[in-house]
Amino acid sequence: MNAPVNSLDTVTVTILPPVARFNLRIAPADLSVASKAFGLTLPTKIGKGAQNADRAAYCIGPDEWLLHAAEADQQAIAAAFDKVRAKTPHSLVVISDREKTIGITGPAAAELLSVACPLDLSRIPIGGAKRTVFDYAQVVLIRDSEDAFRLEVWRSFVPHVQGLLQIATRELAIGL
Amino acid sequence: MTEYRVNGRGRVNRDKPIKFTFDDQSYQGFEGDTVASALLANGVHLMGRSFKYHRPRGVVTAGSDEPNALIGTTRGKGRFEPNTRATIQEIYPGLKTESQNKWPSLKFDLGAINDRLYMLFSAGFYYKTFMWPRSFWDSVYEPLIRKAAGLGKAPSEVDPDTYASRYMHCDVLVIGSGPSGIAAALTAGRAGSKVVLVDEAPEMGGTLLSEPSVSIDGQPAWDWLAAAMEELDGMSNVRRMTRTTAIGYYHQNMIGMVQKLTDHMGDVPEGAPRERMWRVRAKEVVLAQGAIERPMVFDGNDTPGVMMAGAAQTFLNRFGVLVGKSPVVLTSHDSAWYTAFDMADAGANVVAIVDTRDSVPQALQDEARARGIPTHPSHTATATKGRLRVSGLRVNPVKNGKVGAEKMLSCDAVLVCGGWTPSLHLFSHTKGSLAWDAEAKAYLPGNKTEDVHIAGAGRGLWGIASALEDGTKAGADAVKSLGGSAGASTFDVADDRKGTGITQKELPTDRSPGRAKAFVDFQNDVTAKDIRLAVREGMKSIEHVKRYTTNGMATDQGKLSNMNGLTIAADALGKEAPQVGLTTFRPPYTPTTFGAFAGYHKGTHFEVTRKTPIDAWAEENGAEFEPVALWRRAWYFPKAGEDMHKAVARECKSTRESVGIFDASTLGKIEVSGPDATEFLNRMYTNPWTKLGVGRARYGLLLGEDGFIRDDGVIGRMRDDLFHVTTTTGGAARVLNMMEDYLQTEWPELKVWLTSTTEEWATIALNGPNARKLLASFVEGADISAEAFPHMSVVECTVGGFPSRLFRISFTGELGFEINVPARHGKALWEKLWEAGQQYDICPYGTETMHVLRAEKGFIIIGQDTDGTVTPQDAGIGWAIGKMKPDFVGKRSLDRPDIVAPGRKQLVGLLTEDPKTVLTEGAQIVDDPKQAKPMKMIGHVTSSYWSEALGRSIAMAVVEGGFDRMEQTLHVPDENGHPVPAKVTGTVFYDPAGDRLKVE
Repeated sequence: MNAPVNSLDTVTVTILPPVARFNLRIAPADLSVASKAFGLTLPTKIGKGAQNADRAAYCIGPDEWLLHAAEADQQAIAAAFDKVRAKTPHSLVVISDREKTIGITGPAAAELLSVACPLDLSRIPIGGAKRTVFDYAQVVLIRDSEDAFRLEVWRSFVPHVQGLLQIATRELAIGL
Repeated sequence: MTEYRVNGRGRVNRDKPIKFTFDDQSYQGFEGDTVASALLANGVHLMGRSFKYHRPRGVVTAGSDEPNALIGTTRGKGRFEPNTRATIQEIYPGLKTESQNKWPSLKFDLGAINDRLYMLFSAGFYYKTFMWPRSFWDSVYEPLIRKAAGLGKAPSEVDPDTYASRYMHCDVLVIGSGPSGIAAALTAGRAGSKVVLVDEAPEMGGTLLSEPSVSIDGQPAWDWLAAAMEELDGMSNVRRMTRTTAIGYYHQNMIGMVQKLTDHMGDVPEGAPRERMWRVRAKEVVLAQGAIERPMVFDGNDTPGVMMAGAAQTFLNRFGVLVGKSPVVLTSHDSAWYTAFDMADAGANVVAIVDTRDSVPQALQDEARARGIPTHPSHTATATKGRLRVSGLRVNPVKNGKVGAEKMLSCDAVLVCGGWTPSLHLFSHTKGSLAWDAEAKAYLPGNKTEDVHIAGAGRGLWGIASALEDGTKAGADAVKSLGGSAGASTFDVADDRKGTGITQKELPTDRSPGRAKAFVDFQNDVTAKDIRLAVREGMKSIEHVKRYTTNGMATDQGKLSNMNGLTIAADALGKEAPQVGLTTFRPPYTPTTFGAFAGYHKGTHFEVTRKTPIDAWAEENGAEFEPVALWRRAWYFPKAGEDMHKAVARECKSTRESVGIFDASTLGKIEVSGPDATEFLNRMYTNPWTKLGVGRARYGLLLGEDGFIRDDGVIGRMRDDLFHVTTTTGGAARVLNMMEDYLQTEWPELKVWLTSTTEEWATIALNGPNARKLLASFVEGADISAEAFPHMSVVECTVGGFPSRLFRISFTGELGFEINVPARHGKALWEKLWEAGQQYDICPYGTETMHVLRAEKGFIIIGQDTDGTVTPQDAGIGWAIGKMKPDFVGKRSLDRPDIVAPGRKQLVGLLTEDPKTVLTEGAQIVDDPKQAKPMKMIGHVTSSYWSEALGRSIAMAVVEGGFDRMEQTLHVPDENGHPVPAKVTGTVFYDPAGDRLKVE
């Protein structure tokens, strides 16, 4: 039996440490309120991201944002949104435990993802994110640099996705 | 050097001889040979037996359209593949191949008796012959036919190979690397487009590989080809892929391609995938697939040694193999004349060129004369001589439609060309229309439905110059469609082999056409006679002719046979071909392995297996699992020596007597949030939500528009504007989709948002009289006493130090709690409760016990006690409908006449007369078991269990007019068909007053 392969020279796959993660739904007209509560100007175009220190926001739908922050800030962020909810209706749902994040880095990162992600990865801007699928799993794909990606995968789908990435990493190593 | 290998010809590597076996005999070829070319180099034409008549067959083509030379290949243990095309399989040291459909041997096959009896086996033979007597079908006919059927033998072992998949995106995908494909790729590549050029062959060049005498831009064709490949490889925006077949053309320029990775290798790298399925999204597609040579239909045209002229030319120029030393060329197209010339120039004694046309270009006749090749214009072929290998061709002159005196031409090969058919398979997949070209007697691409360009012989053009010119134009057009600009190149082609020709029905003969074995479809053994018979028997559409005769229905999808079949059928009907139609080409273009389609989905990755955060504990503690939707759930926890029945009885007893712990994490959870959350739930669910207080929970019932039950679950109100909705395990995604659908399309004005939190929370259920005692010490920030926290309550607090949404609910009838904590803490909390629960003999239970406990209380399970045709009233839960509500999904349907009519199937309890008998779930129910068959079935058993608490069996069932049948005795067959009497009851079997919920 082959041992799990998580990295070869050209790509590394790792499970990243947890973050505070939120799903934000708000009318685009009210976005400035959310930006203020989160402390970061939220992007307005689907697929775009914004980042400042450990806060990040990705627009993944017409009225939907994925927010990332340091774990320790989870309660404070929830409280900040709580304060403005009465005047500015929105939905902020903690999903820190719903997903795990898989980091994929290295020159072959995009090639590895192309094994099961149908998107044209060359069109994802650096700092942007897309909701897509990886094989049978719904995922959010974040691009951090030319050859660094993160996959946000629902917890119970992680073994399937991770296993497939291992199989494909071995395949890349063989080079056929 | 074997006797048919020609020095100085071909592209195989003479420095690398390779040994392989065919039917256990060792042969030698060279690197670059296919099995077919290597066997031909050894003088072997006989490669198989045909499907129906077991006639000896040899190789016909040099490519993927090969219908005859299908062989079994063995690439090591467990790696046997039947029906490999010998013209595609490359040889490597140690390759083992074998012929098929023969017994005891390829040269002497007993199955060939079918051939002697061929007058019996006409079209429709099976339909007519095996009709009567009816009783013979199962016992005699079908087993016999099955034994005789099939092509090759199926592999008997599990495929040990792995298969890969990839997605790819490009600007221009060029399919086919002949001159037009290369020109298109060069043009688009030079313009900077992201280009992918694919070819099914191991080497690119297509026709150029078979036409080395042409020169392009002052260079010999092969030098030009090498330079073109070098230029393409030098462009970072161009990717070339060989051994890659575009198998299907799907919507919006999605192309499926299968790349063969290792079938040509003797030493396969450890773990390497055998094939890779590429799913390509191309902005523009150039189809440069060329044309397929058409056979001629005449008696004996399937004898080994009779093959396509173009194939002979390929074997000679690409592989350096003479397919015969004294061939006859039989043609109706100029192209085969060049085959004759190349063969003669390579040392063959070309016996004659027989042309069915009366006029042939003078230049060709002159060249034939210069080589001393006799020519016979206006001739037909009427028979072949030889059985295992052709030894003569019988030809006759045709004058004014009359067939004259025969003449036998002795030969060792007959090289045939009945014209060329543009390869339109992939274009046909797009549902682009085909236009009949009356002059060329061929279908050409018509209206296009995709961003596709067809170039070269694929749209009826002929000659290298026009292919190059058309290819560069297609490449430039593709770039223009992308919004770029590209100049079409010009090519200076010398010694081009332009030409024209005709196509025709079966060749005229002086013998009885009814006795001619003139094959149209080699692979399915369909003759011209069969097609004419089909027409005589009333088939008027080519679709019917095809199905009646099986013409074109073999694995080659009629690449060689469709047009000849159509021409003959049209002639028999006295119509033009387009009025008879053309059968549809469907993917895949060539036979494709199941492995390529399955990709990574085998073994551990066959399907997603979702596991809860507590799954690992269950596994460590010996749980048996069952699949529920994509999840695997702990089914029961057997102790040593226990079977399922004993384990479940113990789990039920422990839970009802003390406390049981259950992993309910798979329940769907949806956060419904926003100022209109209450209104939204009022519209979605049957129940009223307005008056549900914060901190309270209610059972929710979800219907479809049709009024039938779709899902259910407990919904807790966390805030005025926030609900924690739970769904069934299998319904989680479906319910969220349904909610989003209504929200987005029907009620976009509602300010409410839905977020799935199924996996945010791990959910642990504690049930039993000691549940509160166990839980209380872990809870901080909430009072969970009976008074402060009544049944159907929810509170946010901490449990075991973890932030929690704690529900007091019960799906067992016992005092019950469901604790939701962030998923990462699920296992830790479970372990804490487990440890503390030891003082109460806490018992972990699985889904089976959960099912029994809820059935004892008459709680339904969606999809088990309902089947999509059950209304709330049918299920006896009409109380869940908010009578005062103006509307909810499904409300109007509940008043439909059929829904309120008497006699609907209603959910009732069933108690067997013998308390020890457990009914079979799914069994049908009858009123009177003595009635005449077929009996009237009035319902079926939906749930049935042994109830440890009651010491007897219990069951639920849907029964016509069930509510009015209380106390009636009905009958349910057991597994042996014996009727079991059972009495109709209510569905609440245990603690009907609900006292057990009220533990202090």
